[in-house]
Amino acid sequence: MTASVDPITLEVIRNALSATAEEMSLVVMRAARSPLLREAGDLSSALTDASGELIAQGRDIPMHMGVMSFTVKEFLKRVPAERLAPGDVWFLNLPEVGGNHLPDVKAIRPIYVADEIVAYAVSLAHWADIGGAVPGSYVPGATDAWQEGLRIAPMRLFSSAGPERQPLDFVLANVRGADEREGDILAQMAATRAADQRFHELLQRHGTDTVTCAIHALHERAETQMRHAIGTLPNGVYEGEDWLDDDGAGGGPIPIRVSIEIRDDSARFDFSGSGDAARGPVNTTPFIAAASVFYTMKALVGPDIQPSGGCYRPFDIVTRPGSVLEPGPERPVVGGNHETSQRVADAIFRALEPAVPGRLSAGGPTTSGLLLFAGRRDDGAWTTLYETHGGGEGARADRDGAPVIRVHMSNVMNTPAEVIEAEYPIRVTRQALRRGSGGAGMHRGGEGLHREYVMLVDDMSLTSMFERAAVPPYGLQDGEPGALFRVGIERKSGERQSLPGKANVRLDRGDRVVLESCGGGGYGPPDGHSKAAGCDVRGTEDTPVENRPTSHR
Amino acid sequence: MTGWQVGIDIGGTFTDVIALNSETGQLSTAKTRSRPDDPMASLLDALDAIGIAWRDVDDLVHGTTMVTNAIVEKRLARVALIATEGFVDTLAIGRQNRLHLYRLDLEPKLPPQVPDQLRFELAERVDAAGEVVAEPSEDAIEAVVREVAESGAEAVAVSLLHSYANSEHEERLGVRLRAAGSRYVALSHSVNPEAREYERTATTALSAGVMPLAAGYLDLLDEHRPAESRLHLFHSAGGLASPSALRDTPLGLAFSGPAAGVAAAGTAASSLGLANAISFDMGGTTTDVCMIVDGQAEIRSDGTLVGRPLRMPMVGVESIGAGGGSIARLDTGTLRVGPESAGADPGPACYGRGGALPTVTDANLVLGYLDDARLVGGSIRLDRGSAERAVGTLADEMGLDFHKAALGIVRVVNASMVRALRRVTVERGIDGRDCAVLAFGGAGPMHAVGLARDFGIRSVVVPRFSSVFSAVGCITAEMSYTQQRTVRMSSGAWEPDRLNRVRTDLRERLSLQFEAVGQDFETQEVAAIRYSGQSYAVEISDPALERPEALGSQFREQHEALYGFATDEPWELVAIRTRLSAPQANHIPGIRHDGTGDAEPATTGSCWFEGVGKAVTPRFDREALREGQRVAGPAVIEDVWSTIVVPPAAALTVDGGGNLHIDVGAGA
Repeated sequence: MTASVDPITLEVIRNALSATAEEMSLVVMRAARSPLLREAGDLSSALTDASGELIAQGRDIPMHMGVMSFTVKEFLKRVPAERLAPGDVWFLNLPEVGGNHLPDVKAIRPIYVADEIVAYAVSLAHWADIGGAVPGSYVPGATDAWQEGLRIAPMRLFSSAGPERQPLDFVLANVRGADEREGDILAQMAATRAADQRFHELLQRHGTDTVTCAIHALHERAETQMRHAIGTLPNGVYEGEDWLDDDGAGGGPIPIRVSIEIRDDSARFDFSGSGDAARGPVNTTPFIAAASVFYTMKALVGPDIQPSGGCYRPFDIVTRPGSVLEPGPERPVVGGNHETSQRVADAIFRALEPAVPGRLSAGGPTTSGLLLFAGRRDDGAWTTLYETHGGGEGARADRDGAPVIRVHMSNVMNTPAEVIEAEYPIRVTRQALRRGSGGAGMHRGGEGLHREYVMLVDDMSLTSMFERAAVPPYGLQDGEPGALFRVGIERKSGERQSLPGKANVRLDRGDRVVLESCGGGGYGPPDGHSKAAGCDVRGTEDTPVENRPTSHR
Repeated sequence: MTGWQVGIDIGGTFTDVIALNSETGQLSTAKTRSRPDDPMASLLDALDAIGIAWRDVDDLVHGTTMVTNAIVEKRLARVALIATEGFVDTLAIGRQNRLHLYRLDLEPKLPPQVPDQLRFELAERVDAAGEVVAEPSEDAIEAVVREVAESGAEAVAVSLLHSYANSEHEERLGVRLRAAGSRYVALSHSVNPEAREYERTATTALSAGVMPLAAGYLDLLDEHRPAESRLHLFHSAGGLASPSALRDTPLGLAFSGPAAGVAAAGTAASSLGLANAISFDMGGTTTDVCMIVDGQAEIRSDGTLVGRPLRMPMVGVESIGAGGGSIARLDTGTLRVGPESAGADPGPACYGRGGALPTVTDANLVLGYLDDARLVGGSIRLDRGSAERAVGTLADEMGLDFHKAALGIVRVVNASMVRALRRVTVERGIDGRDCAVLAFGGAGPMHAVGLARDFGIRSVVVPRFSSVFSAVGCITAEMSYTQQRTVRMSSGAWEPDRLNRVRTDLRERLSLQFEAVGQDFETQEVAAIRYSGQSYAVEISDPALERPEALGSQFREQHEALYGFATDEPWELVAIRTRLSAPQANHIPGIRHDGTGDAEPATTGSCWFEGVGKAVTPRFDREALREGQRVAGPAVIEDVWSTIVVPPAAALTVDGGGNLHIDVGAGA
């Protein structure tokens, strides 16, 4: 069947499919109402085939990859294809249905030729609010799923006749900022409509049979590439583990354990040994675990492999029901999306180190380092600053780690101090490298960030969601670990306190939040190399103390 | 006064030149090989090639990749930075995102442009509204100026927090630094008066880094320029600037080359009455496309160069790594073309310089579009045998004959360029099918019709002098100076006085350049407005800045047009961009021919086309084509520097200006 598509047509169709998914993302970014979508671009788009297998993805966000590969397949288990009709757009956000956490809402449109579904368009967007206990829907103290916000089981919000007003109003009545959310919903709908149109243009141009054959061929191509990549690893069983700092509800560290069996061109990832489901919101879903598997394998052996359902065929991914990676529908998950996914990546990398000697980085800032400031401005308006903080990259066999960077599953930018000061009642009084935080080694870990925020009004709320405050980024080959993530609060009264990684506190005018993000782990023994603390080709991190900038008053 | 207007664009490989005599209508063009190490020699070579002495030139306008190359090749001065206390590491922190998602081995971010030991801080503070929170002490200023002087830096960048809102502290430092002997000082409020400390600081440091080099070149130009000849340079925002204006902000030259081509496309679009056009410039290694609406190229100020932010107004060119030199290869069952390129050396296989891998140019030769009987670029003889061997190897791998393989290479490279067209139109909310493609550059006219068909576009225009189009831009574009500044004013708290001060100040700074030469100018303003709390701003041309209510209506109208909705929520004016311009009077005269009757084909050969196969194809000399002549495809039109392909079912007509209009027809 696949032999009938020549390499030229295959490439032209592949390009058109990717361009379509890319256009979907552009449509959402242009038409959405919330800044999180329009500027931060916290969204993904995908096309799948009629069985729900991923064909193409728009913005490449490693975390969303796993989700998009499973959403339609899981959706079809709940809503059989027979119940769908041309012009439908269904929305859902249940983590257990091919999802991750409630704020990431997916819109799914079936694409028909005559009365047969040939593909699905999926638009995933992070809504700035999905209801629940606090604005922004990040509830560090959540102990069950319902506290985290509105749970949208698959629900048709648009049909060929237009918006389905009742379910739409139901959703809008349960989230904050209804106008903005409605704009976001329309943007997601518009993206799936654009995909429908482009897909039909493609079918017209090449014929349905050719396109169908090409999609099969693309799955097989991705599978071949991934099998080839796995084949470069030596056969064997590899075990690795890493630890979450805590469960977010007063409980101790939680292990993430993986046993990886590489056998020729396939691999089995068994996470059964990971800890039990947590009381707090660090749980996540098997789909996120799969996303981490795909990311790590791509980074280790196949950086150029295109996202496609075929990529997953060589993998057998096992999670244990009742564990932190398969907690069931009742457990809170909001932070697990970006914290636990990173810990899964760490565990896999640590397991595979013997298989790829010299090619891994030491531990890096595998946390979003999230601080969420909420308060009222002078004009009375509510305002929320959702800020992630990068840390020092882990060192490698051939170089030092870079300072202040996001690694692995996410890549969100910071908010400039000049923008924070203009838009929030906050002054940033320092923004510098956290010198000395990188782990020592033959090559040093990158430096973390030191940033200070001073409140300019009373009654601000600060929510944290960060990791690596108890378990540091690891060193490799006898390199030292990086410094721990640390956030302190200096009250105007002079009182000092330390802010836990999953907490909510009140701040008042004059209170100062001092954030120090983790440094990267070092690589190789520190005494094995005289340059450990000396010269640095980048000329930034390792300048001797006497050359550091001095201040003039 | 002799009437000679000369445009010279010095590119990486070739220098384009056009000379127009505004009194006699005489025209002359040439292309010479650039001398990468010696831009002055490249310029003099170009004048030699058209046989006009510099002293006989009234106006010379010059585009250059000198600054671009210096940045790309990291030939930058050693720069010291002065920043606000506590913010000295801003360049090392950047925006914390990594460059490569899946490459652990590569450096995830570029090293800071200013190393640790050259970064100095000053205790001072201004807030976002421009209010002074802490005055710098005299002692502190003196100390930091002394440290910079002792640091051995060749240039100084000063970037203090919120200086776009209040530049007083930066200005004081500037005065003191110059008094202490610093020749090259870049102040961030003057280079890029906009919020976001990392981007502003990086742009300022880059500007400081190119100052000594640019000053050296500008001195050299001054030395060579005869007193009676005027000289201007082409800047990134698509206009001319005087050499003295560029001494302070040489970074304005960073996109000089692409900007000149796009400016020429804008002029052509206006004179041909094309409301929406996409400029399509395909070269050896990259292809640049830009959206042109009502003759105006899109201008943006959030560009990057080699991964560094370069925040200055510049033409909004989307650049992709596909061109004539792009290499085709089979990759796990798909045919990929680029981004690897054979470059200029060894170049495509058919250059016969040792390249053995098939490229887009080799495919075009195999298909008969390029002619091995002619010299390409006046000096290179194409070797058909090498092209056939290179394409043939790939064809064997795919199990196809080599004409099919060559057609495949062209289809695939077109598909990747279609994607770039999609981006520039979708981002502006424009239906791409309503646009015309303006094709120029070496390979643009060869691919334009296939590309247009793939995208659903009906019409392609190959403007006159398309192969030296950047040089055309040099003599037809306006003199202009553009700057954008952050304002931040909400509709609910309008401050007419502050707004007037900002506008007047912007205008006065820019008008100095015109006043220096006693020239009149027009003022154009663009306002960037957004709903409060949002980060995306909408640009409003000719904003009603004196009447906030009317401005609000303009904003809502534009928002509706771009995003499909508008609300009555409060909004804010984020920034103003001011452009002062004085038009050039130059127009390219029409074509004239002696005698009557249509031109006959110079030769006839065989070409291969998608969906058609082999077809007998007449070849015309472009210069011989008459006004009103219609050429039905298949046909090939050639000049010394470029080839225009008119496939079967397409048809070309020639207008009185020598522009070629192609109706793409309904072909494959």
